[in-house]
Amino acid sequence: MPLEMIVGAWVATGLTLLIFSFLYKDNPLFKLAEHLYVGVSVGYVIVKTYDTVIVHLVVKPIVENGEIALLIPVAIGMLMLTRYVPKAAWMSRYAFAFIVGMGAGLAIPRTVSSFILKQVEDTIRPLLSMTGSDGVTFSMNLLNPASHLNAIIIFIGVSSVLFYFFFSIEHSGVGKAVARTGILFLMISFGAGFGYTVMARMSLLIGRLTDLIEFSDTSYGRPTVWLSLLTVGALFLLARRGREQPPDIH
Amino acid sequence: MWMAGMTFSEKMLKIDRRIIFLMIGLCTLLPLLYPVGLPIKTSSEVRGVYDHIESLPEGSVFLLSIDFDPASKPELYPQAIALLRHAFKKNLHVITMTLWVSGTGMADQLVTQVAKEMGKENGTDYTFLGWSPGGQAVIINMGQDLYSAYPSDYRGKPTKELPILEGVRSLKDVGYMVSLGAGRPGVEEWYVFGKDKYKFEMGGGCTGVMAPGLYPLLRSGQINGLIGGLRGAAEYENLIGQKGKAVAGMDAQSATHLAIIALVIMCNLFYFSLRQQKG
Repeated sequence: MPLEMIVGAWVATGLTLLIFSFLYKDNPLFKLAEHLYVGVSVGYVIVKTYDTVIVHLVVKPIVENGEIALLIPVAIGMLMLTRYVPKAAWMSRYAFAFIVGMGAGLAIPRTVSSFILKQVEDTIRPLLSMTGSDGVTFSMNLLNPASHLNAIIIFIGVSSVLFYFFFSIEHSGVGKAVARTGILFLMISFGAGFGYTVMARMSLLIGRLTDLIEFSDTSYGRPTVWLSLLTVGALFLLARRGREQPPDIH
Repeated sequence: MWMAGMTFSEKMLKIDRRIIFLMIGLCTLLPLLYPVGLPIKTSSEVRGVYDHIESLPEGSVFLLSIDFDPASKPELYPQAIALLRHAFKKNLHVITMTLWVSGTGMADQLVTQVAKEMGKENGTDYTFLGWSPGGQAVIINMGQDLYSAYPSDYRGKPTKELPILEGVRSLKDVGYMVSLGAGRPGVEEWYVFGKDKYKFEMGGGCTGVMAPGLYPLLRSGQINGLIGGLRGAAEYENLIGQKGKAVAGMDAQSATHLAIIALVIMCNLFYFSLRQQKG
């Protein structure tokens, strides 16, 4: 087994156990791993961004290929840094205006087309398909997402939830019934979301435990076993030290 | 903390949360150590992605965007491995990339590892383009000119010289595209700024948390398949006949889900019984 794999296994196991120690209670070992995670993530992103953007997309093309036009986006980007000079801070507005204008211009039409028009079309189209040249047809299969029964359920769900968020009319009488139906659909949706969230979190736990089991192998030097003992020992010592120290009255 | 005079329901509702952590931990660990092999049923959404890749002729261009970082590795890494194995087995021209700077190293390791396992050569059978800044702007740029979005691949080789990219000028030349996304930019951005504009077929893969939000896109046919979380990865591993970490984790997933359902029911029973006692 290559040395870097063994070292990687020991580091991964150690940090996983330090993070898991939070399940017992908040402690300095968890804080150490947490700060390392944040530091390493930020450091990695800064280095990668510098290498890709500054070196490969800006400096090299300008110096090696003479792509002078790249100085224009560089200048716009540099305007952002004027925020740190109070007297010149107004210049950064041009850069922000460019970014906001371009972002909104790109996003608004595409988002409206993809998430509103296409979804409205998909809510209505299956209902229209019920009436064709053969007269009215109706499929009742709940398990088939394309069935007419499901199309009607979706239509009722969309309409009632939209009505629930329509506050210009008092929700009383028939309106109250529709709004309540909307709440019911929302609760089902939240339940599905929660179920998937639980599944996702459990998957993360499975991922870590799978690695811990793999790293308990002798080919890695059993880091799971040794570092588990070390972590439990450290937690025990920290707990003892905490009991011995007088409580801070300030 | 339990106190004298507490009823059983009160004691249960104030149980030390570490007991619950331990229970969940054991429910996860034991099936991993002693797998039962519960059956895995393939859903139509996962089959959608598999069937489309299966239908592609040899040499078609397959674009895989690895839009996640190590924080989502347990769920999306097995999906990526299964998809790459399938694409390489079908002898597709595989182009990989990432929109997440924090996932660049991991994506490179992933692609290199699977390509080596399948005996594929970098530049000829596959390429990893790396990361380019801009998120959605990169997708638009690739739709216009792939070489301007990525002048060189991850190893610094000019993309214009790569044999695998011969005849591929933009996203319009892509046969099929899958985005494995753990957030933004991810599947939604690829649909909005990629597929909807440049008209190529696409599927998606995502973490479990994101899956409910992407089902509307699936139902309307905006994406033709969706691999959701570790469960989706296990289904895909089953379909390609190469069982990996996702299938191995399914027993543990089922056991923890059962434990959580039991805890939710018990918690409600104790809550209502306590409410009745208090009148």
